[in-house]
Amino acid sequence: MKRYLKLVDFEFNRFLKLYLVLFGITILSQIIGVIVESRNYLNHANRVIYQDLVPIAEFLENYRTISLIEISYSAWFMGPIVICGVTLIIYVFFIWYRDWLGKNTFSYRLLMLPIARIHVYLAKATTILLYVLGLVALQLILLPIESQVLKWMVPSEFRTDLTISQITGLSDLRILFPHTFIEFVLYYGGGITAVFIVFTAILFERSFRIKGIIYGVLYCAISLFIFMAPILMNEFILGSYFYPIELFFIELVAGIVVLACAIWTGNFLIKNKIRV
Amino acid sequence: MIEIKDVTKKFGRKKVLKGVSFTAEKGQITCLIGINGVGKTTIMKAIMALTPINSGEILIDGEKIHKGSYEKITFIPDTITMLPQMKIRDAFVFMADFYDSWNQKRATELLQFFKLNETDRISELSKGNTAKVNLLLGLALDVDYVLMDEPFSGIDIFSREQIANVFTSHLIENRGVIITTHEINDIEHLVDKVVLLDEGVVLKEFEVEEVRENEGKSVIDVMREVYQG
Repeated sequence: MKRYLKLVDFEFNRFLKLYLVLFGITILSQIIGVIVESRNYLNHANRVIYQDLVPIAEFLENYRTISLIEISYSAWFMGPIVICGVTLIIYVFFIWYRDWLGKNTFSYRLLMLPIARIHVYLAKATTILLYVLGLVALQLILLPIESQVLKWMVPSEFRTDLTISQITGLSDLRILFPHTFIEFVLYYGGGITAVFIVFTAILFERSFRIKGIIYGVLYCAISLFIFMAPILMNEFILGSYFYPIELFFIELVAGIVVLACAIWTGNFLIKNKIRV
Repeated sequence: MIEIKDVTKKFGRKKVLKGVSFTAEKGQITCLIGINGVGKTTIMKAIMALTPINSGEILIDGEKIHKGSYEKITFIPDTITMLPQMKIRDAFVFMADFYDSWNQKRATELLQFFKLNETDRISELSKGNTAKVNLLLGLALDVDYVLMDEPFSGIDIFSREQIANVFTSHLIENRGVIITTHEINDIEHLVDKVVLLDEGVVLKEFEVEEVRENEGKSVIDVMREVYQG
């Protein structure tokens, strides 16, 4: 366990510099976004109120107040989230291939560590999970700061102050901050399972090279089919027989089966079939 | 003892190892000799479970390799197995973190022996010094068996001499060593046993001293007989 945690720490630190850059981009872009979007709104309000001589009440009726929800749809706000997401998706692949490709033979060292090789697999998965949670936590810290910046920028009658729960519940941020247990299981459980499936597919490729790409794609397709089977059966064979909550629990079981198969297959491949 | 028993290995349709068998004893230096592509490195990787074999068996002190085995056998490939951005000192910390068999005293001793500086970054080292760090990381483990793949490949004469000196020092004493090379000259006087390989089969396995005493032949003489005879 101690060595597994050391491995997680090691893997986490390997990407830390770039990860901190992602933090920086998110903080800067979103804070600048709040300032820019607020100023745009106020400039627009000034134009309408002082040039077109529209009364404030009428302006607010036509154009509504500004809140963090409107700002959250801007490129300033969503852009860094997309950049972080795409970077982490790329890193799901890179976290393995960086040890194999080019002149790098660090894969030899990882596979020759006196620990069960599944720990290497799990440590890389844990690292990805920590990176995701770290960025979500950053967003959670940033929201109240951004609310405060909005308060400094926009007079109270032109803005709507929302709680963090309202902001995350009413915008696209809901996917990062699930409001119910079912949403949490769907988004985060689905995400973790997807990472494990991709990891195992990568191990197929690293074990069997070109043939492994075909095995990997087939494996992903089978996993997806098992995961989707209850929904497809319910829709096309059983004629919507199950209640949504029943279907959710059947899906949960299917998801656990797929996740367990991914880890079991990954363990088999990294222990017996992997090549450097 | 490391026992390789009738090991076969295919890459696609190409059979790289065609029933290779030999043993390597603790306290002896066993040298695998053959031209490039005969399967020397593949044997090393197979021993370390870094590539799966198609049939046969590999035993280390009577048991198949498992996670604990990496505390008593190590492999030094022909390229360094540490991250290039690490300093030598960081590599030491990494090894100490994961291996109970890491011997920091010996690592420091080897550092002085090779005249290396622990604050040097691996990516900034010359080819010879990188090879020395690679060797150091393997030899500073208190393991019973050391596998070395072409330790003299592509490095200057002085570094070769320094590395060759390691074989006569206490750093190798009592350990079982398997070393691959296609240039026997550097270490002919050091090896105890030779395994001659060609196209995935063992052509001859012999004790150097025995052949020298009984037949008056050097390793190179035997190689000439086997490969050209």
